[in-house]
Amino acid sequence: MIPLDQVLVFSGILFALGVYGVLTRRNAIAILMSVELMLTAVNTNFIAFGVFHRPSLAVGLVFAVFVITVAAAEVGLALAIILRIYRQRTTANVDEVDILKW
Amino acid sequence: MVGMNAAWLLPAIPAGAFALLLLVRNFLPRKGDWVAIGAVTASFVLFFFVLHDLMTRLGPNFHGVSTGFTWLKIDNFVLRVGFFTDPIAIVMLAAVLVVSLMVHVYSTGYMHGDSRYGWFFTVLALFTAAMSTLVLADNLLLLYVAWELVGICSFLLIGFWWERQSAAEAAKKAFVTTRVGDVGLLIGVILLWKKVGTFDIQTVLHAATSGQIGHTYLTVALLFMLLGAMGKSAQFPFHVWLPDAMEGPTPVSALIHAATMVVAGIYLLARMLPAYMVITGLGTLIMVIGMITAIGAAVIACAQTDIKRIIAYSTLSNLGFMFVAMGAHALTGGMFHLLTHAFFKALLFLGAGSVIHAVETQEVGDLGGLWRKMPITMGTFVIACLANAGLPVFSGFFSKDLVLEGVMHGNTPYYVALLAWVFLSGIYTARLFMLTFFGPSRDHHRYEHAHESPPNMTLPLVVLAVLTLLAGWLALDSVGRALGFPGGVGEFVFVHEPEAYRFSFTVAFAATSAGLLGVLATMYLYWGGGPERARRFADYSPDVYALIRNKFYVDELYQAGINYGVLGLSHAVAWFDRYVVNDTGVNGTAQLTGWLGYRLKFLQNGKLPTYALAMIVGVLVMAIVALSMHS
Repeated sequence: MIPLDQVLVFSGILFALGVYGVLTRRNAIAILMSVELMLTAVNTNFIAFGVFHRPSLAVGLVFAVFVITVAAAEVGLALAIILRIYRQRTTANVDEVDILKW
Repeated sequence: MVGMNAAWLLPAIPAGAFALLLLVRNFLPRKGDWVAIGAVTASFVLFFFVLHDLMTRLGPNFHGVSTGFTWLKIDNFVLRVGFFTDPIAIVMLAAVLVVSLMVHVYSTGYMHGDSRYGWFFTVLALFTAAMSTLVLADNLLLLYVAWELVGICSFLLIGFWWERQSAAEAAKKAFVTTRVGDVGLLIGVILLWKKVGTFDIQTVLHAATSGQIGHTYLTVALLFMLLGAMGKSAQFPFHVWLPDAMEGPTPVSALIHAATMVVAGIYLLARMLPAYMVITGLGTLIMVIGMITAIGAAVIACAQTDIKRIIAYSTLSNLGFMFVAMGAHALTGGMFHLLTHAFFKALLFLGAGSVIHAVETQEVGDLGGLWRKMPITMGTFVIACLANAGLPVFSGFFSKDLVLEGVMHGNTPYYVALLAWVFLSGIYTARLFMLTFFGPSRDHHRYEHAHESPPNMTLPLVVLAVLTLLAGWLALDSVGRALGFPGGVGEFVFVHEPEAYRFSFTVAFAATSAGLLGVLATMYLYWGGGPERARRFADYSPDVYALIRNKFYVDELYQAGINYGVLGLSHAVAWFDRYVVNDTGVNGTAQLTGWLGYRLKFLQNGKLPTYALAMIVGVLVMAIVALSMHS
């Protein structure tokens, strides 16, 4: 079996990639995908800790299912918003969508 | 048989009259003046039953009789509304009830047609009730309550004609000045209560004389009480309110500001005298305060031109004299002078009121020659003047002699100073009389319209004149015995042991010569041609005359103290409030918040990456902090 620390390093790399994507991408869809990457990293962590520390209980798996559910709902909402913005302003670039300020 | 157990009725009857008048006076015929007069008359009649009962019980083991009921009971602490009747209270009550009755009758004439006639009698009834309570109170708290009640009556009556600004201000001045002393009295009462655990006067006195209270503690408590007595009895430096109190109607001046309320301070000292005698230095202090007041006021009285103010300063002077008596522990003389002074000073005021009623001015410079127009007023006034100057046969002579004899033992400088006081009394009394009734009339118009007052005003004058003539003889043992007393006033009112009246020829001669000298010198100055000779006398030293004429500038001194001290402090506080509390504290906080908000709002720039970066940096910082704290 793959040892725990290797799984954690993997999920850490995955999370860092997600953060990098959120910070550098300007396209809203790409940012959303990066967020999904971060969520996947978290899910991996949940499953790994669940398997290694509480093998008898399925706590980690259940949490991962919850996260996926919430992420699905979030993506549905976020894509709808991005679609509306694109319809109105013909862009999905977050730098150009900044009227909600002071 | 109605006796001393009914003493509580003495204040209760006028209090009932007050309550009745307060509610329905405007629906009663004559605005209800007869209710007040009837109540005081009832109290006056009852007083004789109480007096008779007291005389039958007098003896070596008799101290007094206490009646009343429980007001409050908290665990073991009992607060009573108790009335304690003893010779000291009886002497004071005699003065209160006689003068009150006379003033009530007199006021039906003097206040006739006034728009607040009913209200006047309402307050007079309240005053009589409060004053009787003060005299009879058997505990210090009840005494304090009554003390404040007479104070508020004084305030209401000084400011009776409050449409006049000077009257309103005089009322305020009297209230504020006496308040300073009243706070002292309250502190003194609380201090004594804290140590003894009861307000009962006799218990407190016993605790003080038997050494249960430490001397330092007792001194402090008694000094605070002395402050109260000085405020009420208008002793220097609280004397300034009494002359201004003359803004009130003249009957009020006679009742409250001459005969009864202002002697409450002396009465308090008399009540607490056994305690004051424990501390040796206090007697001297009281004597010095009294002497400054007595001499200072007598000097000022010599240069005043307002008839009521001259008498007011004479009252001040006599109050100082009684203070000296209390300081010298001459209780008998002091209380006796209180009684006789109440009669002759009330008579002086009522006589002055009669003059004012006739000529409608108070300036003695506009009077003169009135003896032809007002014989009854003049006749009674001259009796009061002679008593005030302390000339033989008149009551002032006996009481003054008793005090002088009490002071003489071991207090020679004070005795000599009091002889000077007698001389000064002779001067201002004679001057007052000469300017008012003798010489040519200086204002013909007023003189022509002058007339003798109606009978309801002259009757009290005559009664008080008779009392002024006769009351002094009570000092003699033979007279006292003939009336059913154990002897003269010395056998009746005393601190430790009764003393018979010893007529001392040297004292009587010295005092009488001093008084007579003053009277004769003044009569020479004012004889015949009016005040011209006196004016020339004053012109010898205009500065000194101005100093006396302006009452030693004490009022101006206080005004300066208020202007620079109180108002200066107020300005400083107002500045602090405006610039520190308001501008910095209140507005400053708001401005800082507004400025910060204006600066910080630009962080909210609407760009998603900025928010994401802030969020991640925040999480990182928190993670680092959490980790560093964990390790």
